[in-house]
Amino acid sequence: MAINPLEYLIDPHRRIYWVFLFSSVVIAAVFLWFNPKKRRLNLSKKLWLHPSALLDYGYFIFISVFKVLVILPVLIGAKEVALWVNDFLLTQYGFVRIEGFSYSQVMVSFTLILFVLSDLSRYWLHRFLHTVPWLWAFHKVHHSAKVLTPLTFYRVHPIESLLFGLRYSFVIGLVSGVFIYGFGAMIGIVDILGVNALAFVFSFVGSNLRHSHIGISFGAIIEHFLISPKQHQIHHSKQHINVNFGGFLAIWDWFFNSLVLSRDVNRVKFGIKYSEMKYFSRFHQLIFSPFFLLFKSK
Amino acid sequence: MKKVIILTALLFTFCANAVDKVFFEQVIIDNVERSIVSIKQINASIKQGQSKKSQALFAQLVRHWKKVEATYMLGDLNEDFLDTPRYIDIFHGNNEDIKAQLDLIISTSDDLSYALYKHSHKTINALEYLLFTQDLSNARVSAMALIMAKSIERYLQEIKSAYQAHQAKFVQDEQFASAILLNTLVSSAYALKEWRIGDVVGLSKKYKDHADAQRAEYAISQNSTVAILSILQAHKQAIDAPNYKDFGDVARKFGASKEINKTTDYLNQAIAQVEKMQEQDLLNAKGKSLYQSTDRLMNSYYLSLMNKLGFISKVLDADGD
Repeated sequence: MAINPLEYLIDPHRRIYWVFLFSSVVIAAVFLWFNPKKRRLNLSKKLWLHPSALLDYGYFIFISVFKVLVILPVLIGAKEVALWVNDFLLTQYGFVRIEGFSYSQVMVSFTLILFVLSDLSRYWLHRFLHTVPWLWAFHKVHHSAKVLTPLTFYRVHPIESLLFGLRYSFVIGLVSGVFIYGFGAMIGIVDILGVNALAFVFSFVGSNLRHSHIGISFGAIIEHFLISPKQHQIHHSKQHINVNFGGFLAIWDWFFNSLVLSRDVNRVKFGIKYSEMKYFSRFHQLIFSPFFLLFKSK
Repeated sequence: MKKVIILTALLFTFCANAVDKVFFEQVIIDNVERSIVSIKQINASIKQGQSKKSQALFAQLVRHWKKVEATYMLGDLNEDFLDTPRYIDIFHGNNEDIKAQLDLIISTSDDLSYALYKHSHKTINALEYLLFTQDLSNARVSAMALIMAKSIERYLQEIKSAYQAHQAKFVQDEQFASAILLNTLVSSAYALKEWRIGDVVGLSKKYKDHADAQRAEYAISQNSTVAILSILQAHKQAIDAPNYKDFGDVARKFGASKEINKTTDYLNQAIAQVEKMQEQDLLNAKGKSLYQSTDRLMNSYYLSLMNKLGFISKVLDADGD
């Protein structure tokens, strides 16, 4: 696990892996070519050197080191969960080996189920972060960004990082444990550079633009299935903060009535309530303010 | 389209160096050939009416056959052969009481080619019953034993031919070969732990605290520990052999040295335990200790398997949305 933040650029498991950044830059360049009015803002120093953006950059260095030194050592791993699930199933139902599926069929199913369930769990955890008051206190750290840059992705409180890590371990561990129980070593993942191929493809087609001012929409039909950068930017707007919780897929928002399409929102203003912004404008506040606000609200 | 998906899947998955041709020839084929030699010798011995010699040769057959069974991957290479081991050995795969059926067949004068119509009547388990409880000088018993030996030999020959026919498939798809071998070892470790040891010593879920020597695999001939040792030795052939590339070498290439070294340690511990055991020890503290060792062995196989799925131990960037 990288302790050097620069290693994030060369690790395909990272959102800011250089290939994903590069593909996002190319997509953004095409977008700006056809939308010249947007160039001024997106290329301005005001955006990239905005105090909120500078805070993102500094906080990214902190959280990447903090994750390795503090969060990971206390986090239960997906491997442990998978072992436990497999052991539980073995104890309860005895040894089973499902036959009749080819190696490729199992691999494709495993890859697909991992991706879908992982995305579904991301949706619900994200939704809970907004709807459960004490969780929202921590998630405000992320939403307090006044401007969005790819590094805003990492502007999350350590408690939230811990929760997402647990979510990952439990979902990936559960699915892997069940598949290992049924298929043993006959499972594998369809991957690109070691990353779930579906996650890689979705990251490649501009996931870094979700936290940016490049308002690309996919059109109303596709936006029922896939979350566009514009939809996530809507999620960051003060007026629509409780919509579009989806990660890669929009179907969860559609099914659970939290979907807003790009065409339905004209203007977005990022951040949280003005009265709360003052608690999240400095580095130390991103760490301590959630606790302070929770204590104050009691 | 299907071809494109499969090719893409294979292209994008990590590349492994699986166990190779030498392993296939020196372990898989060799074990089958040794079993065939054993059953042929039993056949000859039965014809000569040599009861004691047949019993001794039976132990040798168990030794070789259990190695074939412990590393049996043919069903994964060709599903037509999924059930073939069941035609040779019905341990834990059949609830019928073949002893009573065989007694009945011995006591009648029906044509044996019709009387022994079931697969279970011609298995190693049936042969054990005849060789160790019946009088081989009885012509009918001898004829029955010969039919059983012939049947076992025929299925072993089929296994050998099929393995040879599918050798290329095993060798060419390294990732698949590793997967089916590891699966075979895992299922063999489970059967060893739960059925061959746990059910006897009373530590399995089904027979918790109810030990019973009659549940041992070869309770009649007292060859159960021979079978257990042979299975463990087959595992050693697969993961810890010095003169060819085995699964242990593959796992180390994956960076799972720690896991596979542990597996090898557990395996060696279990082998050392069985080597000092008598048949009746399956019921006492030694049996319980062996159960624990094989439990650790099975779990360490699963750990090696997890290592194959390296991605699951990584915390992906999934936060911050």
